[in-house]
Amino acid sequence: MPPDNLTEAVEVALEFGASSVELSKLDYPLDPNVREARLLSETPSVRSLGRLELSVSTAGWKFPKPPVEYTPPNPPTTSSTARVSTSVPAVFNPPLPDPSEPARPRIRPKPTNDTVLFKDRLLYLLQPPLDGLFGSRQLEVPFEPYKYQLEGIAFLVPRQSALLADEMGLGKTAQAILALRVLFHHGYIHRALVVCPKPLMYNWARELKMWAPDIPFETFDGDPEERRRMWLVSNCPLKLINYETLSRDCELATDPRVHFDVVVLDEAQRIKNKESKTSQVVRAIHRSRSWALTGTPIENHPDDLVNIFSFLDSGRIPPGTPPRRLPQYTSDSILRRTKDLVQSDMPTKTIRDITIELTPAQRAAYDRAENEGVVHLNELGDTITIQHVFQLVMRLKQICNFDPVTGDSAKLEQLLTDMEEVAASGRKAIVFSQWVEPLQVLAQALARYGALQYHGKVPHAQRTAILDRFRDDPDCHVLLMSYGTGSVGLNLQFANYVFLFDRWWNPAVEDQAINRAHRLGQRHPVTVTRFLSSNTIEQRIAEILEAKRQLFHELIAQADKPETRGLTEEEIFGLFDIKARPKRDKPPPA
Amino acid sequence: MTRQAASAKPHGLLTLGFLSVLQESHGWLGGYLVTNGWGRPLEFRLTTAVQPNRVQTVLYGPTLSEYLHADVIGKTLVEKTTTKPDLIVTDSLPVLALRSRIDIPVVAVGSAPEHLGDWVAFPHVRSSTLLLLPRKFEVDQDRIVALLDQVDPAVDLAEPFTRVREAVAEARKMGVTNRAA
Repeated sequence: MPPDNLTEAVEVALEFGASSVELSKLDYPLDPNVREARLLSETPSVRSLGRLELSVSTAGWKFPKPPVEYTPPNPPTTSSTARVSTSVPAVFNPPLPDPSEPARPRIRPKPTNDTVLFKDRLLYLLQPPLDGLFGSRQLEVPFEPYKYQLEGIAFLVPRQSALLADEMGLGKTAQAILALRVLFHHGYIHRALVVCPKPLMYNWARELKMWAPDIPFETFDGDPEERRRMWLVSNCPLKLINYETLSRDCELATDPRVHFDVVVLDEAQRIKNKESKTSQVVRAIHRSRSWALTGTPIENHPDDLVNIFSFLDSGRIPPGTPPRRLPQYTSDSILRRTKDLVQSDMPTKTIRDITIELTPAQRAAYDRAENEGVVHLNELGDTITIQHVFQLVMRLKQICNFDPVTGDSAKLEQLLTDMEEVAASGRKAIVFSQWVEPLQVLAQALARYGALQYHGKVPHAQRTAILDRFRDDPDCHVLLMSYGTGSVGLNLQFANYVFLFDRWWNPAVEDQAINRAHRLGQRHPVTVTRFLSSNTIEQRIAEILEAKRQLFHELIAQADKPETRGLTEEEIFGLFDIKARPKRDKPPPA
Repeated sequence: MTRQAASAKPHGLLTLGFLSVLQESHGWLGGYLVTNGWGRPLEFRLTTAVQPNRVQTVLYGPTLSEYLHADVIGKTLVEKTTTKPDLIVTDSLPVLALRSRIDIPVVAVGSAPEHLGDWVAFPHVRSSTLLLLPRKFEVDQDRIVALLDQVDPAVDLAEPFTRVREAVAEARKMGVTNRAA
């Protein structure tokens, strides 16, 4: 209705209506701006507000099913508890967590940098923490691994290529076994091969029984036909072999029908020579994952590390990579911890350098041999070789041990004094020498301390029994070992004294020897005594090696440049005052 | 209260679902991890992010949170996942409403609300935090306890949510949350 008509209608009502009727007032004044209103008969316009319901899309991933639960055998129980356990299944109920306790950090495997597929990365991101795993009924262990060991396991589990280079004595074997066990239990691996030096076969078998009693294993020992069956027919999930047997079985080991999900090399410095048959065989084994264990990934030269990586991941390090750039390619696959870093509560290791004055007979023999030897070397002129120098060094070191004529030995006198104390305190000691002959002499001199020998002239079949006797017999206080046979892989943490009767050329080998005793499980301080004959070749070598040891620590700390740890050719020539040098077409490399 | 005895399963066969709803810049998204009774992963699923608009927020009012957590994200994740769990655990209280949509008990981990009137809180050795149930689903408590008694002692019900969050973060980093289908 137009506004004018409305005004007219109101006026009419006023004119004819009763004057007593009063219109109620409006609550608010009519908006004079309203000029138009729609009739109710007209359809109002409707505007949609859009979908009100919400929705999402999803993406999902399935993972390999873990194998059927393993039920470990019941531990021995007393008769009374056994009765209880037969009627009511015992449920392990730990006490309720204390909310006031700070949450402990959990240790879980993480995907590696080169894990590209999201599903593969998820697989590791979603794994449960390892710290609960080993403390529970899932994976029973004799005692819970240390935190750094769990970190080592978390390092190994997701890696296709891994070098565990922990210092000796930190339990590399246990970490590798537990990592294998986790992978077996998760269903990610079904066949594994462990390769170790022959003297360590017994050690590995013992540790496997201790850390993975639920993983059946077999060792390659037997005639060729039996070994052929083991390579090609046996379904045993874990196989243990030594390097020598592996080299003999190279055709079977590299047969295309033989495939392992994991191959673990213990004491992987054994393949530092890329051209050796051992190195070639291990590289040719068909495998999915390659792990290496060694406390000395670089014994003499950066190439040692390069050659270990030729097994771990052959294409990882480009040919000709300078040593200082090696970490760029290898660091993600190497884990190295030292005792100082990971285990502050481990018993201390005290190094005692005892400077020995040669007996008069030894001194006379020594001086005569050195003077004559130097004259001889100088007479050789440019026909001199490093072997000539070695021969003189060896001769002098042997005189430092025993006088060749009288058998006098200042070191033996000191050792006898020290052994009195060791035996009186009920402790045990290991004596290392680089030769077998001095050990045999020492065995007679130390017979009253129940001396046992463990060196290259002891048949393999007897060695395990010797170690067991040394551990168990309270009257056996001393074990005489050669560096070559006894320095690697053995667990002798029940000994608290180590004597280095003579020194080895390479500090890494000495460290290996020392760490037979100073390792995981040691409960008492370890005293290492290094005998050094004063004013002799021994002292000169020790000074050079100490300087190199310092350099090693600096370089490893910087993770920059692998070191050379033995003596170089020039250093060996420099041991004596000789001017003669070998004739060369080219100068030796720096 | 009726007692529903859960059928005894070995730890490896029992399945648990861990459902978490997270808020990020693009909205809400869900992560759902199914494990066996040892806590080992069997299946993982996540959703795209969903952001209610202003109208939806106004019209759903106070029911929006339950609708979003239980219907849109929770029910979708459970239904699309192949492995069916015996128990669903969540760290988001609004997800508990999922119980009325599915026939699987749902329990929450976390600190109890200030007013426990509508909630039942109880401890269990498999959880480092209290467990929570809406009082209207109190009947599930015995069944839940019976199921948790079968879970391996190494499992802490609060722990897998760390894994779910890390997996969601990884998915976001790799752009997977944008292309879920």
